[in-house]
Amino acid sequence: MIRFILSDLRRMWAGALVVVLLVALAVALGVAVTLQERGLRLGSARAADKFDLIVGAAGGPTQLVLSSVFLQAAPLPLLPGETLQKLSSDPRVKWAAPIGFGDSVRDQPVVGTTTTLIAETAKGFADGRMFAQEDEAVAGAATDLAIGATVVPMHGLAGESTHQHADVRYRIVGKLKPTSTAWDRAILVPIQAVWHIHGLGEHDAHDEHDHHGFDADAALHEDWSDAELPGLPAILVKPKTIADAYKLRQDYRAAPTQAVFPAEVLTALYATMGDARAVLAAIAIGAQVLVAAALILVTVVHVGQRRRQIGALRAFGAPRGAVFALVWGELMALIGAGVALGYALGWGVSAALGAGFTAKNGVVLPVGFVPEDGIGVLALLGFAALLAAVPAWRAYAEPTVDALRA
Amino acid sequence: MLALSVADLSVAYPGLAEPALDVAALDLGAGGCLAVTGASGSGKSTLVNMLTGLARPSGGRVAWGGVEISALGEAARDRWRAANVGLVMQDFHLFPGLSAVENVLLPARLARAASVAVRTRAHELLAEVGLSRPEQPVETLSRGEMQRVAVARAVLREPGVIVADEPTASLDAASGAAVADLLLSLAARLGSTLVLVSHDPRLIGRASRRVTLAGGRIVSDEGAAR
Repeated sequence: MIRFILSDLRRMWAGALVVVLLVALAVALGVAVTLQERGLRLGSARAADKFDLIVGAAGGPTQLVLSSVFLQAAPLPLLPGETLQKLSSDPRVKWAAPIGFGDSVRDQPVVGTTTTLIAETAKGFADGRMFAQEDEAVAGAATDLAIGATVVPMHGLAGESTHQHADVRYRIVGKLKPTSTAWDRAILVPIQAVWHIHGLGEHDAHDEHDHHGFDADAALHEDWSDAELPGLPAILVKPKTIADAYKLRQDYRAAPTQAVFPAEVLTALYATMGDARAVLAAIAIGAQVLVAAALILVTVVHVGQRRRQIGALRAFGAPRGAVFALVWGELMALIGAGVALGYALGWGVSAALGAGFTAKNGVVLPVGFVPEDGIGVLALLGFAALLAAVPAWRAYAEPTVDALRA
Repeated sequence: MLALSVADLSVAYPGLAEPALDVAALDLGAGGCLAVTGASGSGKSTLVNMLTGLARPSGGRVAWGGVEISALGEAARDRWRAANVGLVMQDFHLFPGLSAVENVLLPARLARAASVAVRTRAHELLAEVGLSRPEQPVETLSRGEMQRVAVARAVLREPGVIVADEPTASLDAASGAAVADLLLSLAARLGSTLVLVSHDPRLIGRASRRVTLAGGRIVSDEGAAR
C-alpha cells in the first residue's frame, strides 16, 4: 500500500510538491507570528528583569522605559538632581543609580552610570575590570570594542550624532558578559565623566565645547550626599522589599517626577501590541482559511485525477477500507510533510528575524517551541485528518461503473 | 466454478423509452464458455456490468452459483466480485509506477490476501503468460504484454468466473491470439466459467456458446443445446 502511494506521488510529483509547499507556507506564517510574538515578549521581559523601579521626570512612562531599558535613542526631560540624593538616603532603597544618555560611539550608546549599577545588573566581567577613573569605560558584550581600545564619544544620541568631543577619550578597561539585553550594545562610562564633559554639576558657566571639567585621571566619587547634582534623565532604583517598591512608586509618581515599574509598562505596551498581534493573527488565520480552501480544491482534484484508478481498484475487488486508506494516507502524507516543513520554515524565519533584531537592538529574542505548541500541531493534523477523510469517503461513494468510465 | 442464471433482466435509463438491456433468460453451466457479441451500443457492456455486479439492474435477477448478486448492496457486490470474479478489460487498467508482479498482486494485497503461496503463484503465472521479467515496470511493457499481466492478475486468486470485456480489441492479431489462448487455457485448467465479450470473430469462434445482442435483446443463441 505504501509502495502504491509512493509510486503515485512519484508519478504526480509536481502536484504533490505544490500541495506540500502550499501547506508549508500557511503553517510557516502562523508559526512565525506566534514565535516572533513570544520571543518579543520573553526577550523584553528578560531585558527589563533587573529594572525594578525607574524614576524619571514627569512625562510618558513608555518613553522612559524604552530609553532606560532598551536604550532607545530619544531625548528625555530631566528630573532634579536632588532626587538622586533623596532616593540614595531613603531607608527603603537598597541602591539607586543615575543613568545618563546623550553620547554615542558609532551608533553604540554611551551610558553614564555608577559602578553599583554595573555590579548589580550585569552578569560579571568576561575580561578586564570595572572603570575606576573618569576616562575609563566598560564595554557591553555586543560592542565591537576590546580591552585597551580608546573611543571618542560623539555628542548626540546614537544615530543622530552632531559633533565629536575631540579632546575626550575613553579607554576600555573591561568587557561584560552577555546579558541578552540592549545594554550589551552600550559603552558604560562613569556618570561623573558625562557630567564633566558636558560641563554639568559645576558652578561655572556651561559651555559644551570646552571640556575643561573632564579630567582623565580624576578618581570617581559616587557619594553625592552633599554635592550639587545636575538634572538627570533617569534613576534606576532597587527597593529593599516589594512593599517598599510600591510605596516608593507612590511617593515619586507625582510631578516633577514619575516612577514606573518597567514590567507594568511593558504589560501595558503588550496590550497595545496585542491589537497588532490580533491583526497579524487574523492575517495568519485568513491565510490558513485560504489554504484550507485550496486544500479542499486540491483534494477534490486529487481524487478527480484518480477516479478511474479508484474505479479500477474497486472493480478488481479492493475493499472499501483499503481504498479509503489509500486516498486518506496519500493526502495525509502530503499534508504531514507540509506541516513539518512549515514548522521548520516558520522557526527559521523567526530565528532570522530575531537575529536581525538582536543585531540592531541587542535584545535577544528567545525563539523556541513550548510544549503547548504540540497541541497546536495535533489540532492542525486532526483538522487535516478530517479534511482528508472527505475525499477518501467520496472515493467510494460513486458507483464503480461511473468511476471506471471517468 | 459457478453457474450463471439470469431471469427477466432489465436495465433502463431515465429519458430512454427502450430499456438498454432486456434479457428474459440466460443460463450457463458451471465451467462453461460464453461469448457475447453484437454491434456497438447493443448492450454488451451493460450486460458485463450486470454479470460482474459492477452495477445493479433496474429489474430481474442475476445469480452466480445460487448467489443473487443483483440483490446485494454496493459494498457486498464489491466483496463478492473480489472473491469470485477475475476481470480482464480492454484497456488493461494496470497501475503505472508498479512492476508487473506488483500489479498482479495489488488486488490481493489490498484485500490482505497476499500470502506467500499467492506471491509464489503470481510469479508462476507471469512465467506462464510469458513474462520473463516480473520486476519490469508495467509502463515499459508492450500492449500485448500488458494484457497478459492483466490476465495473470485476473486469475491469481483462482476465481469461479472470468469475465473478459473486449480483451483483444486493442491488440494486434498475434498478441490478441496469444491472449485468447491464455484465457481459454487458464479457464479450462482452473475450471472457471468464462464470459468473453467481444466483436473479434477469432475469439468468438473459440467459445462453445455464442450469444448475439441487438438493441439490448438476445437475437441469436448458438450452441446452447451442446
